[in-house]
Amino acid sequence: MALELKLSGIVFLVGAYGSGKTEVAINLAVYMNAKDVPVRVADLDLVNPYFRTREARHVLGQLGIDLVLPPAQYMQADLPILTPAVSGMLRQPTGLTLLDVGGDDVGATVLAALADAVKGQSVEVFQVINPHRPYTETIAGCLQIKAAIEAKAKMPITGIVGNANLMEDTTAEHLLAGHDFALQVAEAAQVPLAFITAPMGLLTQLDKRDMQCPILPLRRQLVPPWKQPETFGPAV
Amino acid sequence: MAKVLMKGNEAIGEAAIRAGCLNYFAYPITPQSEVAEYLVRRMPEVGGVFLQGESEVAVGYMLFGAAGAGARVFTTSSSPGISLMSEAISYICGAQCPAVFVNIMRGGPGLGGILPSQGDYFQATKGIGHGDCRLLVMAPASVQEAVEMVMMAFPLAEKYRNPVMVLGDGLIGQMMEPVAFPDHLKTEPSNKDAWSSNGMDHRGSQTRNLVRSLFLDPTVLNDNNLALKAKYDRMRAEEVRSEAYNIDGDYQCLIVSYGTMSRVCRTAIDMLKAEGIEVGMIRPQTLFPFPEEAVGEAASKASCKHVVSIEMSMGQMVEDVALSVLGRVPVSWYGKCGGEIPTPEEIIGVVKARIAGKE
Repeated sequence: MALELKLSGIVFLVGAYGSGKTEVAINLAVYMNAKDVPVRVADLDLVNPYFRTREARHVLGQLGIDLVLPPAQYMQADLPILTPAVSGMLRQPTGLTLLDVGGDDVGATVLAALADAVKGQSVEVFQVINPHRPYTETIAGCLQIKAAIEAKAKMPITGIVGNANLMEDTTAEHLLAGHDFALQVAEAAQVPLAFITAPMGLLTQLDKRDMQCPILPLRRQLVPPWKQPETFGPAV
Repeated sequence: MAKVLMKGNEAIGEAAIRAGCLNYFAYPITPQSEVAEYLVRRMPEVGGVFLQGESEVAVGYMLFGAAGAGARVFTTSSSPGISLMSEAISYICGAQCPAVFVNIMRGGPGLGGILPSQGDYFQATKGIGHGDCRLLVMAPASVQEAVEMVMMAFPLAEKYRNPVMVLGDGLIGQMMEPVAFPDHLKTEPSNKDAWSSNGMDHRGSQTRNLVRSLFLDPTVLNDNNLALKAKYDRMRAEEVRSEAYNIDGDYQCLIVSYGTMSRVCRTAIDMLKAEGIEVGMIRPQTLFPFPEEAVGEAASKASCKHVVSIEMSMGQMVEDVALSVLGRVPVSWYGKCGGEIPTPEEIIGVVKARIAGKE
């Protein structure tokens, strides 16, 4: 059996552009909320115009998960808006405070502005990696983006999140290879492998092998308008 | 090559490289800026060039210059940026040079918004530039098809010595899908000796190629426009592409839809089929030339009582649909713009109303 996923305090999700941070953030929030951990989420994506955490505000709201967003009138603007509510939630964290940061070092620049707010607190900065994305298919590529993010964020990365996937083309083989890859990246980066993700439909196929980290089950939320987001059922 | 997970914009950039295009000039604009972000890193890896112009006006003429010198060249932009390039596009048409333009459409008119739209249909197919100027226009419905169309665009531009446009809505640029590329870089030589202003030594010719769109002698200008018209007619004869969906059954309603909008329609058609209601669809893959025959034929089926054009615009393609149906059955439009995309449920409602004879 895989290890149990336990998280609290402040968690920043960073990573290369398109590595899946937002999908991980939404699913992680719902998963921890189902375990009775009070969860607050902030959409810190200042660089992406579509497919942001704010797209899932209704599903998160229905589950009672607090989502901090830019003011409603600027929700569809491609402007880098950092609402003061973010530093407020960081100064008084409860349960799990989850921050979905924009992609690459450019997206992580915002973290440097929040250094004061998180001073003296327990902070995790997790790098989400997907080896099926350009430029993060090698360990060297993942380490390169790690260094670039750390330089801009002025915070060290403290864990790796393995998010190996090809969306609907993902197979159990991709997940197993992705697990091994994430483990190698974590070892090379000298940080723990925090967890890996797996689509709900493939979870049962993973029990065959011992995983050396917790698994976050994924129900895809960020879908194009011709698809339905997967519904969140009971906790697994 | 194994599949990779890419944003449409990234995949478009990689596709151009695979088509042997190593010259990319552009100016950033949402929702296509990731093409530039991808290529600023990727072009140097393959010995290519990315140069950001000071505006889209400049970029248009950078393409003209590069094309006139025989280089395989392309740019990407979004609606307002394409408007700024349109003068240069007309010049490139007039001078009969090849170039590839990708428009990842956002809402309009004016600055509009940054969400997906198909509001540039008229611009792309009928009004891209002054004079008798037309583009060959292809419209992808998936990231994979965007790759294929971008790779087809370069040889087509050279075949016709005419600009080619790949017209995608914002979703095509922003969505991520697994995508496969051919293993090798495409390196077929272009036919640039026919128009390129340089390379006389190489082609051993004493005749200069003049790159120009100014023809003061009316007979010469008329001849140039006749040559352009002959090319547009040849495009109509040789390049029309469309995809039919669910047209084997006895459908009462035919949908015509393109780009990502057609994928919403496809979901609606599947849901209607589960209810026992047959609806067919023609998806134009080329917008100019428009698949008049395919639409006309599908509308002529005895069971078909209505044709509806579903677009993320206020009714543009519907005019070409009506010209294809030629009054055989009623033609109507349904759509939204500004970034709101009709849902499968809305389309089901529209189709049921049309079948019941309501508009």
